[in-house]
Amino acid sequence: MQLRTLAIEDLAQVMDLERRLFQNEAWLEQTMAAEIASPQTHYVGAFDGSLLGYAGLKVSGPSYSCDVQTIGVEPESQGKSIGRTLMNELLAFAKRQGSEEVFLEVKAGNESAIGLYLSLGFEQIDVRKRYYQPSGEDALVMRMPISQPVVLGIESTCDETGVGIVRGNRLLANALHSSMDEHAKYGGVVPEVAARAHLEAISPTLDAALAEAGIGYEDIDAVAVANGPGLSGALMVGIGAAKGLAVALDKPIYAVNHLVGHVGADVLERGAVEVPTIALLVSGGHTSLLLVRDLLNDTQLLGETIDDAAGEAFDKVARVLGLPYPGGPQIEKIAAEGDPNAIRFPRGLTLPKDLEKHKYNFSFSGLKTAVARHVEKLEDGGQEYSKPDVAASFREAVIDVLLTKSLWACEEFGVKRLLLGGGVVANARLRQEAEQRCQEAGIELRIPRFSLCTDNGAMIAALGSQLIMDGREPSGLDFGAESTLPVTTVQTT
Amino acid sequence: MLLSIDTSAGTSAALFDGKRLLSSVFFDDPFGHAENIAKAITGVLSQADLPANALENIAVGIGPAPYTGLRVGIAAAKALAGPLGVGLHGVMVLDAIAFSRTEERLLVTTDAKRGELFAAGYVFGKREFGPRVIDPSTTAEFGDYEHVSEPADAEKVGRYALWALEKGIDLSETGAIYLRSPDVTPSPGKRVSG
Repeated sequence: MQLRTLAIEDLAQVMDLERRLFQNEAWLEQTMAAEIASPQTHYVGAFDGSLLGYAGLKVSGPSYSCDVQTIGVEPESQGKSIGRTLMNELLAFAKRQGSEEVFLEVKAGNESAIGLYLSLGFEQIDVRKRYYQPSGEDALVMRMPISQPVVLGIESTCDETGVGIVRGNRLLANALHSSMDEHAKYGGVVPEVAARAHLEAISPTLDAALAEAGIGYEDIDAVAVANGPGLSGALMVGIGAAKGLAVALDKPIYAVNHLVGHVGADVLERGAVEVPTIALLVSGGHTSLLLVRDLLNDTQLLGETIDDAAGEAFDKVARVLGLPYPGGPQIEKIAAEGDPNAIRFPRGLTLPKDLEKHKYNFSFSGLKTAVARHVEKLEDGGQEYSKPDVAASFREAVIDVLLTKSLWACEEFGVKRLLLGGGVVANARLRQEAEQRCQEAGIELRIPRFSLCTDNGAMIAALGSQLIMDGREPSGLDFGAESTLPVTTVQTT
Repeated sequence: MLLSIDTSAGTSAALFDGKRLLSSVFFDDPFGHAENIAKAITGVLSQADLPANALENIAVGIGPAPYTGLRVGIAAAKALAGPLGVGLHGVMVLDAIAFSRTEERLLVTTDAKRGELFAAGYVFGKREFGPRVIDPSTTAEFGDYEHVSEPADAEKVGRYALWALEKGIDLSETGAIYLRSPDVTPSPGKRVSG
């Protein structure tokens, strides 16, 4: 017997069996077709040459519950555990989706089905009188709880010490300690300063996360930690702490990819990362464009910066303009008064000659130099100039190239969805421009709340939870920091 | 039951029942701290056939030592002590090395990288100076001290902690001892045009 997901090509066989089983209560063909085709359902069939049975589940998203829509087994094949096999597949799917409970209705007189559901762990919670028409038979409403793992995630790839806690896809806590202020006098993140700050912050941040979640260490089922990409010395603090915690609690540990974590953060917003999606991750350390067809199995790096990260460019240009670190908010503030079209700064790697090798790569070093030259020339000539105009024009150049390439990717790969992540998403002008361009192009724009866009522990916990729900084995205890971990390595085993 | 951890040179863990050493694990690799830390800890526990929640105290070497590896051991020790609800004790590693020796006047040095040494001086087991960073050429100034230059490990850290706790010596400081500021100076920013 073969179990597989049903496709619309199976409709005739399904309807044939549906009519035989349910006669005048059978679904209409168009209802069944819509159910099988819906992205919110999971329909499976058991085949042995022909269809022996089928079952369907509806994910009532965005929520944490599922409903069993239908189940049917060919009369001659009943009593062969086909119904149980189908149900187990639906329940496994519900668990992978992050559901915390599954509901179903069953005819009050269908003793064999009720027996099956009870043995699987369902309990009767209600009766719906005269639910089935035209027979007028009562329906029992049954519910089965699904326990989802409580995962604590640690993030220490750059200057934020993050500890997040999730249960399945549900956010329980997202505690953060930032060492940003300590880097201000240096004009950028200093790895040694960041690593020292992580060590001081780790215990208080762990305590803060547990308090926020209202749970104790004994409630944790697994530990996740970002082991790259990032600053090696900073990563090692998080890894040391995560391993200490896993050993103390005698729980499994998952070493996960920080960048994939950024993409996965959206599960905490809508219960799932809707795929396929193009993801643009922009921060002080990264500028990456990803094509995500499946969060755990198929994430592809389309391009990244070949020199400075976008956030770094904001920091450097802020310094050219005599503004303090971090540059993003400073540029944002004065750019509000400026004309974004006052100066045409270069859009890196967008010329026809660049497109062959660098269509989806970014370069901001030349832009920063162009801004510096422009300012130096004016200052050397003793000319007055408008800092707001320079800031606004620079910002426009960055945003233009980020979004232009993101939309190129949506078009080339036929993906109608764009997800933004990373600290630069704090830039209101970026969000505004992204909304406008996506709307014009008919593309759905996803931006998780800001606390899930910047580096945070919750996204690491959420990715660990996804791996567990997918049935992945934990990582060994001997993984290390991988400062250049490729985005294709979701988990270091 | 005391677990000691040290990542000031290699990566090591040791387990003591009272003052009796039950087990110890030592990884020599000077770069593999993140990789080896959990193996060292689970190694000593499994050799003694004990679960983590049998621990009553944790001691950790807090330097001075090269920073990146040092922090791994301290981070792990902090994360162990929290959920287990046990005491965490910080051991200045030069004290632990000196405690393992019998010389009357002792200059303990370890590699501080960048051509420098971490150093502390002891007379009859009592620290007279240090820890500090010194230039190797200046060790000649300590002619009336026996010189010892060897790495610390968890066994030394554990033995010192057991003695110090018995004597009522304060080991409550568990932050890393760096002795040097982060190696960075604020840049004034460079011109790009000539």
